[in-house]
Amino acid sequence: MKNVLILNKNYLSYWLRQLRKTMTLIAPLRSVHGDVIMKTVENIHEIELDCPALIPSPKEFLFPHKEDMFRFSVGATDILKDDTKRLIFGVRSCDMSAIAMLDKFFGEQFIDDYYMSRRRNAVFISIVCNNPETTCFCIGLGTGPSLKSNFDIQLTDLGDRYMVETASNRGAPLIKKYIYLFSKPKKSDYEDQYEIILSSASKFEKRINLENARQKILEERISDLFWEWVAKKCFECGGCVYECPLCTCFNVLDKVESENQGVRLRVWDACIFKGFTRMAGNVWPSEKKGSRIKQWYFHKLIYYPEHFGKFGCVGCGRCTITCPGHIDMATIAHKIDIGDRRNR
Amino acid sequence: MKGTIKDTYLPSGAEIIDIMKMTDNIKLFTIKPQRPFPYKPGEFIMLSLWGKGEVPISITSTYGFHKYLELCIRRVGYITEAIHMLRPSDEIGIRGPFGNSFPVEEARGKDIIFVAGGLGIAPLRPLIHMVMNDKKQFKRVALVSGSCTPSDILFKDDINTWQKKGMQVFLTCDKKDMDWDGNIGLVTDYLKTPKISFKNAFAFLCGPPVMIDITMKNLHGMGVSENRIFTSLEAHMKCGVGKCGHCYIDGKYICTEGPILSYAEIKDRRLYKH
Repeated sequence: MKNVLILNKNYLSYWLRQLRKTMTLIAPLRSVHGDVIMKTVENIHEIELDCPALIPSPKEFLFPHKEDMFRFSVGATDILKDDTKRLIFGVRSCDMSAIAMLDKFFGEQFIDDYYMSRRRNAVFISIVCNNPETTCFCIGLGTGPSLKSNFDIQLTDLGDRYMVETASNRGAPLIKKYIYLFSKPKKSDYEDQYEIILSSASKFEKRINLENARQKILEERISDLFWEWVAKKCFECGGCVYECPLCTCFNVLDKVESENQGVRLRVWDACIFKGFTRMAGNVWPSEKKGSRIKQWYFHKLIYYPEHFGKFGCVGCGRCTITCPGHIDMATIAHKIDIGDRRNR
Repeated sequence: MKGTIKDTYLPSGAEIIDIMKMTDNIKLFTIKPQRPFPYKPGEFIMLSLWGKGEVPISITSTYGFHKYLELCIRRVGYITEAIHMLRPSDEIGIRGPFGNSFPVEEARGKDIIFVAGGLGIAPLRPLIHMVMNDKKQFKRVALVSGSCTPSDILFKDDINTWQKKGMQVFLTCDKKDMDWDGNIGLVTDYLKTPKISFKNAFAFLCGPPVMIDITMKNLHGMGVSENRIFTSLEAHMKCGVGKCGHCYIDGKYICTEGPILSYAEIKDRRLYKH
């Protein structure tokens, strides 16, 4: 299944240009303000190739912030479906691991057709991280900096050439059609890749052990007072949830456009928002901020491993960058692990 | 565009046949789904009004009554307010049925106690009906039902029928009334009155969260095994299929792993406490 080839860097833009003819090409672009954002590409030479950290996670191409579900009018309902073919280039390994988890989540039991329709029509090209950020900790979770499976196409930057690996049925046709651009890998290419991955692994500054944190929580060594202390620092902005590549909660709203006509849509929601669990009649299971924060951490550290066998965190470090209260996953998991509660 | 998208989120149509006013703010809706709608006692549907939204509503109609569905709805929020404005022959949308059902097969040959608080009798009604129609399969059956005032007692006719079929019925009201000479107090005050063997009994209960909490604890204290006390929980829901995350509390999606949960499953968890 896994197929390894070598692509000369000079051929990359030609390859992408050919692929763009049949699919929308989305890649990291630097905006005028200096931020790198995933956007539809107009000029292929503007793509940021060094695998930069992206603040909005690529989940938005599969599970958009706001998605129209149905258009309703008197006596008729239209199902709105997005079946645009997308090629998403330059995704990090951590995000690719997150997408593999989302595939499981949205594809089990009741299938989420909106997600699956987008997923069926999307191919991801991920790049092995050569230069992890200071906030990254995927290395401790096995979700990066390179992947062994769960990707469509993975590129490793070997200086003047890319090692191209395919591991899914979605990725293979993109290479097969342009096989003349690729060459067979030599022994030295494998050695170079090994060295690159090794040097990347050595660059990680954060070593977060989520398993230790999980064990401590399961042993009930973390009291509710700790979560209340965390809650005091929370601004309830929802930044961690919105940027998290694994957060999937949504709200469903009906927007009435004119009489008897409108759209039913879904938007991202966050479990740390106050009204998230409030029912009509003022029944309110998690009214306290502390219990909502606890829910977020428990979901990622306890419930995800119970259900999927993996943590609900891929170590992308987005919440570390986003959280204004410094109560992100890395900080809190480290605090639980080390037991630093002097500052309480 | 229609095609590969299946109908996980698409409501199917249903016509309102009849509306019966039960109390000041509770109405009983009889609806006719456009498609066959098999269900088990304890399951719920997502009731959809285009332009307003969706709410989870438990199925109240008695089991084996598939042509029509009955929904007992209290006017309490934005969407139920709109539902109460509807008239017979109006069109609504339904999705489902969702959730698990009461494990009634396990209770065969045992005593059963039902405890209902207010509108909590609605999700229990199909189950009680099923049990009473098959009374020989069960031993002694009792119902303890509490309401605010005598006029708030729901399904009086059904309760009378069940009583005639041999059910021990204990009704209680919170407040005294001119034409009420029955029990006064909370359901928890009358848990011990039924003449059943609590050690071998199954308990099914539903009501406000505080009532569920205390009743489960008391029943367990009276000797009912924690694996034999079942309740139907409510939660804020948007999808009903375990995706939207609103009902995900303490590691359980109430919509797919519930709403029927045993005391053993929830006693250590903070599912419904405030």
